[in-house]
Amino acid sequence: MNLKKQFTEGLITNNPVLVQRIGLCSTMAITTMFFNGIGMGLSVLIILTCCNVVISAMRKAIPNDIRLAMFVVVIAGFVTIVDLLLQAFVPALSASLGVFIPLIVVNCIIIGRAEAFCQKEPVVPSFFDGIFQGIGYTLVLLCMCIIRELLGSGTFGAGVFEIVDGSFRAVLDGSAAGIRIFPEEFGATIMIMPFGGFLTLACLLAAMQYALRKSAEKKEAAARAAKVEVVKEAAE
Amino acid sequence: MAETKRAPNQIVKLALVLFLVSAIVSGVLGVVNMFTKDRIAELEAQARAEAYNAVLPWDGEYVNVEYDKEAFETVDAIAQAGDEGWVVELTFSGAQSSITAAFGVAADYTITGASVISHAETSGLGAKIVEEGFLSSFVGQSEGMAVTKDGGTVDSITAATISSRAMANAANTAIAAVKALG
Repeated sequence: MNLKKQFTEGLITNNPVLVQRIGLCSTMAITTMFFNGIGMGLSVLIILTCCNVVISAMRKAIPNDIRLAMFVVVIAGFVTIVDLLLQAFVPALSASLGVFIPLIVVNCIIIGRAEAFCQKEPVVPSFFDGIFQGIGYTLVLLCMCIIRELLGSGTFGAGVFEIVDGSFRAVLDGSAAGIRIFPEEFGATIMIMPFGGFLTLACLLAAMQYALRKSAEKKEAAARAAKVEVVKEAAE
Repeated sequence: MAETKRAPNQIVKLALVLFLVSAIVSGVLGVVNMFTKDRIAELEAQARAEAYNAVLPWDGEYVNVEYDKEAFETVDAIAQAGDEGWVVELTFSGAQSSITAAFGVAADYTITGASVISHAETSGLGAKIVEEGFLSSFVGQSEGMAVTKDGGTVDSITAATISSRAMANAANTAIAAVKALG
């Protein structure tokens, strides 16, 4: 078990959205305001972690032939639990995310991690895999929300943060208006429409590829330099 | 495809395992539902009461009246608020799925207010139908409403014409249904 490696993989080098490119549909659909991003991210994080633990615990009892059906049953169970709890205790989030909460059942991140990780690994690493992959997903959602909300409606943190009478306030029920950066009329509505989702995601993907390649080149150069050193030393 | 040939008892075993897991999951869901259903129903009733009061303030009781259910399929209920008027609750299709909304209709057949009880419109676009700025543009309007984009007087929400149009049509239906009461 390597916590640090799992952490970097979940957040950066094997980020579910930007590197594995799974779960893109919800990423583009709901990232129109900060409140949605944080709510969806946390919901997926919780469901992913629970599913990872349960599937990993059952991995030896699951017959290989019907594993996908078993995964879906477990995932659907947790999604429905979270959906009911949200409806009962965070109705604002439930109303705002609407059908996208039940749709987590078919979110590829969860079934993808079950297939790629949990059916082979013990419970503890699977638990951390759920947490870190969930955080990785949440971070991408928040990036998308911040960019789209700012360019589309000119606010930051709608639903979560607001400034009332000059004092900063954070709420959890989605009633906050957000911090206005520029007047709403100047916002590009296209950014909060589906098109804006594609555009923002494409830019983030491109930036991620660039960063990953840069870092790989750097590592390669360092490795080559080290090799040269070794050869030099041997020659001496 | 030799792999797909299985002994019948193995298929039975697979079915049993899947059945068992599904049964456990259903049991857990039943328990969660038991704990949450009262609260969800309570929140819904509260949202409905708030919506009724928002569209047509009335101290007394809202009394449900009979109406022509076949002619007005989208109407869920019509409640009379004394001489003040009626509250019409409708469920109709929006851009994504159905919208449930309440409209207050005064005795002179004008809209006194509109409120959305539940919807699943696109977050950030159609979901804006719940905002005060949009709903208040219904107040005082009479039958024949249309959104500004169609040359009417109800402010349509930018990039959410379908949702706005659905609301305007529902408001017309609400008035028509009340008029049909006679």
